Amino acid sequence: MRSVRGIGQARAAVFFAVLAMLPAFNLAHWVLNMLVFTLMYAVMASAWNLLGGFAGYPSLGHAAFFGVGAYAVTLWFQHHGIHSGYEPFFLLPVIGIGAAIVGLPIAAIAMRTRSDVFAIVTITLLFVAQTLAFNLRSITGGAQGASIAIPPFSAATFERPFYDVLLVLLAVAMGLTWASMRSKVGLSLAAVRADEDKAAGIGVRVQAVKLLAFCVSVGLTAMVGAVWAYYVGFIYPQFAIDPLITIAIVLMTFLGGRATLWGPVIGAFILELAQQYFAYSLGGSQYYLIAYALVFLVVMLLMPRGIVPSIQERLRHRRRRRVVDAPTSTGGAAQPVRAEAASMTRRPFTPVPYAEGDRA
Amino acid sequence: MTTALLEVANVSRRFGSVRALQDASLTVERNSITALIGPNGSGKTTMFNVITGYLPADSGTIRFDGHDVTRAKPAILYRRGLSRTFQQARVFGHLTVQENLVVAGGFSVAQLFGRRVGRQDRERAAALLVEFRLSHVADLYASELSYGQRKLLEFAAVLMSQPKLVMLDEPTAGVNPVMIETMEQHIRQLHASGITFLIVEHDMNFVMRLCDPVVVLDQGHEIFTGAPDAVQSNPAVLDAYLGA
Amino acid sequence: MHALIQGIILGILTAGVYALMASGQTLIFGIMKVVNLAQGAMVILGAYLAFQLFTSFGIDPFLAIPITTVALFVVGVLVQLLFLRPLRSDDRSELSLLVTFAVALLLEGIMSVIWSTSDRSINTHYANSSWTVFGYQITLVRLWAFLLSLFALGLLYLLLNRTRFGRAIRASVQNPESATLLGVQSERVSAIGFGLGAATAAAAGSVYGLLYPFNSGSHYDLISRLLSIVILGGLGSVGGAVIGALVISVSSAIVASAISPIWSEMTFFIVLLLVLLVRPRGLFGTAARGAI
Repeated sequence: MRSVRGIGQARAAVFFAVLAMLPAFNLAHWVLNMLVFTLMYAVMASAWNLLGGFAGYPSLGHAAFFGVGAYAVTLWFQHHGIHSGYEPFFLLPVIGIGAAIVGLPIAAIAMRTRSDVFAIVTITLLFVAQTLAFNLRSITGGAQGASIAIPPFSAATFERPFYDVLLVLLAVAMGLTWASMRSKVGLSLAAVRADEDKAAGIGVRVQAVKLLAFCVSVGLTAMVGAVWAYYVGFIYPQFAIDPLITIAIVLMTFLGGRATLWGPVIGAFILELAQQYFAYSLGGSQYYLIAYALVFLVVMLLMPRGIVPSIQERLRHRRRRRVVDAPTSTGGAAQPVRAEAASMTRRPFTPVPYAEGDRA
Repeated sequence: MTTALLEVANVSRRFGSVRALQDASLTVERNSITALIGPNGSGKTTMFNVITGYLPADSGTIRFDGHDVTRAKPAILYRRGLSRTFQQARVFGHLTVQENLVVAGGFSVAQLFGRRVGRQDRERAAALLVEFRLSHVADLYASELSYGQRKLLEFAAVLMSQPKLVMLDEPTAGVNPVMIETMEQHIRQLHASGITFLIVEHDMNFVMRLCDPVVVLDQGHEIFTGAPDAVQSNPAVLDAYLGA
Repeated sequence: MHALIQGIILGILTAGVYALMASGQTLIFGIMKVVNLAQGAMVILGAYLAFQLFTSFGIDPFLAIPITTVALFVVGVLVQLLFLRPLRSDDRSELSLLVTFAVALLLEGIMSVIWSTSDRSINTHYANSSWTVFGYQITLVRLWAFLLSLFALGLLYLLLNRTRFGRAIRASVQNPESATLLGVQSERVSAIGFGLGAATAAAAGSVYGLLYPFNSGSHYDLISRLLSIVILGGLGSVGGAVIGALVISVSSAIVASAISPIWSEMTFFIVLLLVLLVRPRGLFGTAARGAI
C-alpha cells in the first residue's frame, strides 16, 4: 500500500517538474499558447470533477462562473491600474472566494434537484448569465465587449507568467482533489454520489460536502476565467460565458475518467491538443464544431467510463486473481461468495420508489 | 424516563388516491424487539419511511426519545439515535466494506477533514467486522459481496453510531437459512446490550421466536398489538391475512 | 395598464409556440427518461427548413409544416437509433444528456455550414399585418401561430389518447416493465417517440421562424427556456408543459412591460428557482427524479 502511494507522489512530482521546465526550452509562442490553454482546461476539468465526478452532480453551468471570474478581473482593472503586471494574479484568491460565495445560494437551491434535473438547472443558469452579460451593457459593455489593460510583460516571454500561474492553479486543484480523496470529505462524497438518500440516513454530512464541492469547484473555475480574461485582453459575452467551455471540461473529465485524480488532466491534455489541431487544420468554426461534436459522440458511446477507470479495473482484476490463486489466502472460502457476487454485481442497482416497497 | 422510545400517533399518508397509512398508531417500548407485520401492501414500508423522515406524513405526530420528530429529516433522526436498514440492502457498492462502516460513523463537519479511514475509525469498524464475520472481506468493494453479506453489512453500518433504536426492513428476505440464524443471533446480542428494535418481517417463525410485542398493520391501520402467541388466534388478524 | 394587458396578450400568444416545443421535449422525457438538449436545435432546424422552402419554392411556412415535420421525424428517429440506443442503462440519464448536447452542437455545426451564421428571417407578405381589438394590437402571425400550436397540441393529445400507438406510449411512460410484458416494443416506441418529439419541434420551428429572426446559435436561447418550462411543469407531463409555458411567457411579458425587457430575459430562471425551492419536482411532476 505504502509503495503504491509513493509511486503516486513520484508521478505527480515528475509531472509537475516536467511542466515547470517546459518553457525553459525556448518553445515557440504557438506551442506555449497551446499549453496555456491546455493547462486552463486541465484546471477546470479537475475543478469540475470535484462536483461532477466525486459528488455526482453533473453541472453544465460552470462556464457561468468562468465568466464571473473573467468579468470580475476585467471590471476591477478598469478602475485600477496595472503596474507590475502581476496585480491580477494577486486578485485571484479574492475572485475564487467571491465566486464561491456567489455560488453558495445557487448551489443551495440547485442541489435540491439531482442528476439530470440538476444539469438542466445549471445549464439554464449558464444561459441566463450569458444573457445578463449581453444585456447589462453599462457594466459589461454588452456585445461590444470589455477590455483589460495590456499586461506589461515582454513580448518574448509573454506567455510565461500565465503559464506559471496556471501551473500553480493546477497544483492547487489536483492537491485539493487528492486531499479530498484521502479525507472523509471524499468518503462522504462517494456515498452521496452512490445513494444520497441512504447517505443522509446514516449520518453523512450530505449538505455540507455537496455545498463544499460546488463552491470549491466554481471558485477554481472563476480563477481560471480571470486568468483567461487577462491573457486574451478583451472579452465578449459569447466567449466569456460559452457553453462550449462547459462541454469541453465535461467531455475531458468523461474521457479521462470521472472521480479520479488524473482522469480530467489526461482528458484535458488529449482533447485540448486535439481541439487545437482541429481548429488549426479545419479553420472555419463550422466544420470545427461538427468535428468536435463527432469526437464527443464517439467518446460517449465507446468509452462512457473513461480511460483511468478502465485501466484501474484491469489492474484490480489482475491483483484479485493473484490473491485468489495464492495458497495462503482465504481464497477457498471466498470462492463461492465471489461466484454469487458476480451474478449480483451485474444487476443494475435502482432504488425502488418508497411507496411501492410494500408490494415487493 | 417512563415514556416509550417511539410513539407514532394517528399518522396518515396517501399517494394520489391510495391511502397507504390511515390513522395508524404504534408504540415501541424501550428495550423491546417490536415486530411490524401485515399482508403485502398494508403500509409497513410506508410506515418505516414516514417514521425515518424519508416521506413526510400528511397528518399525525411522531415522537422519538421524548422529542417531536414528525417533520424531521433522516439526518436529524440519525443523530438522535434512530437508524434503519432498507429492504433491498442499500450499501455503497464502490466503497470497500470497511469504508461502508466508517462512512456511517456520524462525523461532525470538522471531522470531515480528517483522514478518510483513520486509526480510530479502523478500530471501531474492526470490532463490528469481527462481530459480523466480515473481516476477511473488509477490503473488498461492497458490490463484490453476496446479497446476504450486504444485508449484514448494512446492519453493521447502522450500528456505527450507537443507535438507540434500529429499524430493520425485512432482515431475512432473500437470505439463506444460515444467514437468517446469524441475523437472529446478532439481534439478540444487540438487544441484550440495550438496543431497541423495530422489525418489519414476513418470516413468521422468525417473528414468533424473536419479537414481543407484535403490531399488525392492515390497509394502513394497526389492527392488533400484543404478544406473539396471541397474534395467531386473533380473528381480525386471521381475517386480514386470509382475506374475507 | 394598457401596456401590461398588451404584454399579457403577447405572453399568452407566445406561450402557445413554446408549449408546442416543450410538449415534444416532455414527451421524449416521458417515454425514454432522456432530457433532449437538442430540442432547441431541432426547432431551429425546422425554422431553417421552412425558410428554405419559402425562399426556394415560395411555400408558405404554415403549409410547409407537413413537410418539415416528416423530415424532423426522420432526424429524431435517427438520433435515437444511432446515439441513444447504444448507451448502457446504468448511467444512461447522465450520458444521454451529454449525447443530446453533442447532437445539438452537431446540428448547429451542420446548420452553420449550410446556412452560415448570419440572422435569417422569413418575410411573408402578412408578416407585419395586425388587428386592433379594443385598442390592443394583435399581430396576425402571432395569432395564427397560437392557433396552429393549439391545433398541433390537440393532434398530439388525440394521438396519445385515442390511438393504439398512444396507448403503447402512455403504457411505457407509466410502467416500462409491464408495458414490455404486454408486448409493447419499447425500442420501437422510443424511436417513434423521439421522432414525434422532433416533429413537434419542426412544427414549432416554422412558427418560430415567422415570429423571430434566427441563426444557427439561436438554439441556446431556446433550450434554456424550454428546459425551464418542462422542469416547471414537471418533466414528462404534457399538460404541465402547457401550463409551464403559460407561466413563463406571461411572467416574462409582464416583467418586460412593467420593469424592463432586460430583466424579462431572466424572469424564467427566477421563476424556475422559486418553484424548485418549494417543489423540487416541478409543479406537476409526480415521480421522484434523479434518484440514481
